[in-house]
Amino acid sequence: MAALEFRLDPGSGLPTSQQLVQQVEHALRLGHLQPGDRLPKVRDAVASLAINPNTVLKAYRELEIKGLVEGRPGQGTFITASLNQVGLPELAKLRRSLLGWLASADTAGLDSDGMAALFASALRDFADRRDGGAAHAGSVQVA
Amino acid sequence: MTALPMDSLPDPHLRPLPWRRMAWVTWRQHRLTLAGVAALFGAPALYLLVRGLQLHHAYAPITACQPAASNRCAAEAHQFSAAYAHGAIVTAGLLQVIPLLVGAFVGAPILAREFETGTFRYAWTQGFGRTRWTIAKLVPLALAVALTAAAFGALFSWYYQPIVDVGGDSDSSLLAATIFDVHPVAIAAWTLVAFAIGALAGVLIRRVIPALFATLAVWAALAFLTGAFLRPHYQAPVVTTAAATPRSALVINQWWTFDGKPASLDMLNRALRPVDVQALTLQDFQPGPATPPTVGDPVRYLIRHGYTQYTSYQPTSRFWTWQLIEGGWLLALSLAVIAITIRQVSRRAT
Amino acid sequence: MSIVEARGLGKRYGGTWALRDCTLAIPAGHVAALVGPNGAGKTTLLNLVVGLAGPSEGLVSVLGGRPAGSPAALDGIAFVAQDTPLYRSLTAADMLHMTRNLNRRFDDRFARTRLGELAIPLERSAGELSGGQRAQLALTLALARHPQLLVLDEPMAMLDPLARHDFMATVMTAVADDGVSVLLSSHVLAELERVADYLVLVSHGRIQVSGEVDDLLAEHCVLTGPAAESAAYAERLSVVHARRGEAQAQLLVRTNRGSHAVPAGWEKHRVSLEELTLAYLREPAAAALPGPRAAANAVRAMR
Repeated sequence: MAALEFRLDPGSGLPTSQQLVQQVEHALRLGHLQPGDRLPKVRDAVASLAINPNTVLKAYRELEIKGLVEGRPGQGTFITASLNQVGLPELAKLRRSLLGWLASADTAGLDSDGMAALFASALRDFADRRDGGAAHAGSVQVA
Repeated sequence: MTALPMDSLPDPHLRPLPWRRMAWVTWRQHRLTLAGVAALFGAPALYLLVRGLQLHHAYAPITACQPAASNRCAAEAHQFSAAYAHGAIVTAGLLQVIPLLVGAFVGAPILAREFETGTFRYAWTQGFGRTRWTIAKLVPLALAVALTAAAFGALFSWYYQPIVDVGGDSDSSLLAATIFDVHPVAIAAWTLVAFAIGALAGVLIRRVIPALFATLAVWAALAFLTGAFLRPHYQAPVVTTAAATPRSALVINQWWTFDGKPASLDMLNRALRPVDVQALTLQDFQPGPATPPTVGDPVRYLIRHGYTQYTSYQPTSRFWTWQLIEGGWLLALSLAVIAITIRQVSRRAT
Repeated sequence: MSIVEARGLGKRYGGTWALRDCTLAIPAGHVAALVGPNGAGKTTLLNLVVGLAGPSEGLVSVLGGRPAGSPAALDGIAFVAQDTPLYRSLTAADMLHMTRNLNRRFDDRFARTRLGELAIPLERSAGELSGGQRAQLALTLALARHPQLLVLDEPMAMLDPLARHDFMATVMTAVADDGVSVLLSSHVLAELERVADYLVLVSHGRIQVSGEVDDLLAEHCVLTGPAAESAAYAERLSVVHARRGEAQAQLLVRTNRGSHAVPAGWEKHRVSLEELTLAYLREPAAAALPGPRAAANAVRAMR
């Protein structure tokens, strides 16, 4: 039996393969998955969720690129690493600087939803830049 | 599921699947229909068998009667005829409809039903291919209905034999339309053509009930036209000046001449007036049996006085030739119609 | 290898063109979704692919160059039509026997195992089965032929949600096990994202969109920004569909991959397959077809 069962959230807005990747990473963060655990076989995930096998393969490939899993032919896909845990002091420092930012935003007049929207947008931009490489950085001349 | 080892892509030039694969398919899909055919022919066949034994039994003493030409034997023959001929004629009349029913109800649904229920979307996307699938259905079923009809016709022929042997009039003649139709070659051919028309109607109309009605209409028209107009002309009629033609002959036409010129009814009536004979009516000049000698024979009187009667007729000796002629052209027609049906299947798009 | 190829394909019924000028090259190994409004030509296209209809103009070939409808094509394609037609008076066992007789390849053991798993009784006539069971029976018969291409024409229209899920699970499992390519037409856009990795959008008898889902989603995005500026940007960007409120506008934009950055004051959002499809359906004049090179490859392959 596999170590976890995938589920789909139709309301999440994320592509299916992204959801699968996130579920694996989330389980790793929470410690539910340990190195050596086996992920569901492609066929089983497909049979229970009625999704395209390529989607599962794509998710597993991405996890492999991230160095989190390893595919063993004939046996399945296994967890090989745990997610880098950020240390507690590091976390505390990040939290303090975030609270500082929130205070500035509050002074500027943003409400909670405004802060959340601004944060989400900046996070997307950051992720795009980091994942897409230099090409995405900067502004194109639109004027 | 164990995946079958996927061979390399199949050779695009594939050998067709063997015909016998369709044997079970045709049987399984149409076994009820075939049972219906058996019943539709079988029930009357039982009747013919029983009645035919009665007929043959009743006729046996007539053949044994000696001397054959005496009044006593003639009277017995007449009695037999009076008792059985009419019933046999009616039976033959009722049996007319069977070739049509069998042919239509077997032929029309084969393709129409597939369109009506949408199952052609399954049947015609299988590896066997739609054209061969159609052939594998039409040919065996056509053979089945034709051969069953032929066997039934042979039974009727046996049943009817005494009526023919005792001799009768044109109503009971072998050449009479309803009698002719039910003999083996004709009935097989008419059943086959009904089947063929049904199949074509099915592929063109694509609904079972309308296809059936179309088949009924077309077949009925063809049968009527053949019996009324085509069949009497299969061979040039015999023309004779004899006073009496064979009673069972199929009289085509009768006319009188005097001195080489056509004689009108008026002329004939004037000629007959001095004689103690009822004035001839138009009835007497209709094609039909010569007037029996008991009614002061106007025909012989006229002949003695210089008039000549011409009769054109078809003798019953031509019966089997005509069966073959009719069977022949109906078979050709059936094959052509079936070929068109198959072509429609291979070309027709949804 | 292209599992389905069309070049200039057209189909006319009487005086009306149901399909016109269709050019396609669907690669093998994909689950291709065929979407479009009713009457757009989806069923016509599927009928042409499986050989039930013949083209009025142009060509269609399947399984790497075999003419649609030819014996070689019929051998490798299994079709489940709308309303899953089966012979109502025959039992499932009869249908197995018939399908086995009519095809070169038939995995009887697979079919019986599958029907057993689905609890579909072999000796009950097809007319007595429920809609979901009939659909699963038709699908089982098709998959037991181990086709290279499985074609499904709105197979789930009559099914309840659970039956739909089971049906698609069966199809996807066959894709995982056998590598069969799938071409399915569907109305239910929301479910397509999970299963489709190739999209063909047919509208008014023409192909409006065709391409890999990943590529299409990467090439499109939604830009939201001030309505006042939207007209200016609309000229520079390839806008598929625009929604303008008084203050804010949303532009669904097609971009070249790679460099496109977001103008100041604007936000870029990922677009879902459903959103993309709806946008194109609303804009019949827009099209997202493979570029000239892809079309040329398709043409070359078909010669």
